Amino acid sequence: MVFFEQLAGNLLYGIILGAVYGLATMGLSQIFGVLKIVNVGHGAFIMVGAYVAYWMFVLYSVNPILSIPVALVIGLALGLGIFYIVIRRLIGAPELASLLATFGIGIFIEEVAKFFWGPDHRGFSWNIGQVDFGITLIPNTKLLAFFSSVIIALILYMLFQRTRIGAAIRAVVEDREGAMVCGIDVSRIYAMSFGIGIAMTVIGGILLTLFIPVGINPYMGGEYTLKAFVIAVLGGLGSPWGAFIGGFIFGLLENGSYTILGLIPGVEPFSLTRFVAFSALLVILLVKPTGLMGGE
Amino acid sequence: MLEAENLETGYGPMQILWGITIKAEKQSITTIIGPNGAGKTTILRAIMGMIQPWNGKITYDGDDVTMLPPHKKVERGLSMVLEGRHLFGGMTVKENLILGAYTKQARERLDDSLEIVYTLFPILKERSTQKAGTLSGGQQQMLAIARALMTRPKLIMLDEPSQGLAPIVVEQVMDTLKKLREELEITILLVEQNVLVSYHTADYTYIIENGQVVKEGEPSECIDIQEIRKAYLGV
Ligand SMILES: Nc1ncnc2c1ncn2[C@@H]1O[C@H](COP(=O)(O)OP(=O)(O)OP(=O)(O)O)[C@@H](O)[C@H]1O
Ligand SMILES: [Mg+2]
Repeated sequence: MVFFEQLAGNLLYGIILGAVYGLATMGLSQIFGVLKIVNVGHGAFIMVGAYVAYWMFVLYSVNPILSIPVALVIGLALGLGIFYIVIRRLIGAPELASLLATFGIGIFIEEVAKFFWGPDHRGFSWNIGQVDFGITLIPNTKLLAFFSSVIIALILYMLFQRTRIGAAIRAVVEDREGAMVCGIDVSRIYAMSFGIGIAMTVIGGILLTLFIPVGINPYMGGEYTLKAFVIAVLGGLGSPWGAFIGGFIFGLLENGSYTILGLIPGVEPFSLTRFVAFSALLVILLVKPTGLMGGE
Repeated sequence: MLEAENLETGYGPMQILWGITIKAEKQSITTIIGPNGAGKTTILRAIMGMIQPWNGKITYDGDDVTMLPPHKKVERGLSMVLEGRHLFGGMTVKENLILGAYTKQARERLDDSLEIVYTLFPILKERSTQKAGTLSGGQQQMLAIARALMTRPKLIMLDEPSQGLAPIVVEQVMDTLKKLREELEITILLVEQNVLVSYHTADYTYIIENGQVVKEGEPSECIDIQEIRKAYLGV
């Protein structure tokens, strides 16, 4: 009974963390969907978000949820800047070029972060109580992160489905040349999509700090790049909504397996969750290479 | 209305067009014919700005538009029906049409434009909530033309709109083009593989081979109809 209670508790936690994972991956999928570029430096932008949360909290006593608008502005500026300096030249270039470039951008951002803020872990604690779900206790900060993620994803969905710009972005995803002859400025759509994608990632980074017990450091992003790849594939690369759903699946897998692995004597479950996640990725890629929700 | 002078361009290091000069007079139907790989599509893409001209000059409505990107050309009333249609297959017919009216000027006239294309193609009104990808080939071609009309063009370039269509549907498409010219005063520049169709539709024809104009004139001057009848029908 204790096992099932633990499992249920962990799965609940998995859903909550999964929403944040999902949000933190939407940007990767959005950028791939529109620009057909895989942002290998994804995790660096998660890290930027984490530092935004940290500094806003430590310097200005602004909590991470209220820092979301700040992350939006910083993310957009960073995304647009990088787009016009680097990414613009990579549209339609060989894949290797864009992989190397985004990899390099990621490392550059990490090194700049290390230069200014040092390599050590930093943490802050924001405590506003918790809710007892019977099976487990969930801190209110994590619940807030969950609801913020869901709300932001919904807002984005409305933006894509209901606005003219959203329709233009979808048109470019479906058929770039078809969009051109409709009078859509495709390069502007690229810039906006990259900017929005990076902004979403930075916001995801803010919310993820509420789930990191060991604190943040400049190299924390790598782990999230890997997780985001799994989630993006789960969601059928290229679809931000698929990625959001993929986040839930990943959260459940990761935290469910944590409980189950804990049953095996002599196994340290935390070290194996990543193994489980990537085994899942391999299995999915073997069975359905376009991802679980992938169309074609 | 539209004039390309000495147009040269290509892909990467490979030159495809070697000094093309063509003209589309106001409210005329001009066709470009020629064998596969001659560069017909490349001419239209260069005029539209989808690939950059290396050399030469494109004049439209009296202005030099050589280096304008495609969306700026659409704003000025130049539109294109691409080879292979390039519809938004996962969106409905109506969504496709609304995207056609993306520019500011076109959006202001959206309702009026919808009425025009629905009158021209009643089937699109019937199918307005259906996904574009599920339409038949002929209907998709009509939607591609309708989407181009939604931009409120003064000139439409069409790249092989009869490709893959049954002869009867081809005839409908050509009748539609004539209607566009007569009723909406639209100038038409048409790439057409089917020489017979071109013969019966065009006011003026260019024959392209290996990226050069090899012959031009009224269809009766530059197309040897007897020769073609022989080739096509074995008469
Ligand atoms: N994107 C591209 N990259 C490289 N070469 C291309 C590209 N598109 C076309 N070509 C080449 O340019 C030449 C002209 O192509 P184009 O599509 O303009 O011919 P076309 O006259 O339209 O032929 P078709 O009747 O088959 O449509 C061809 O040799 C083709 O292989
Ligand atoms: Mg062609």
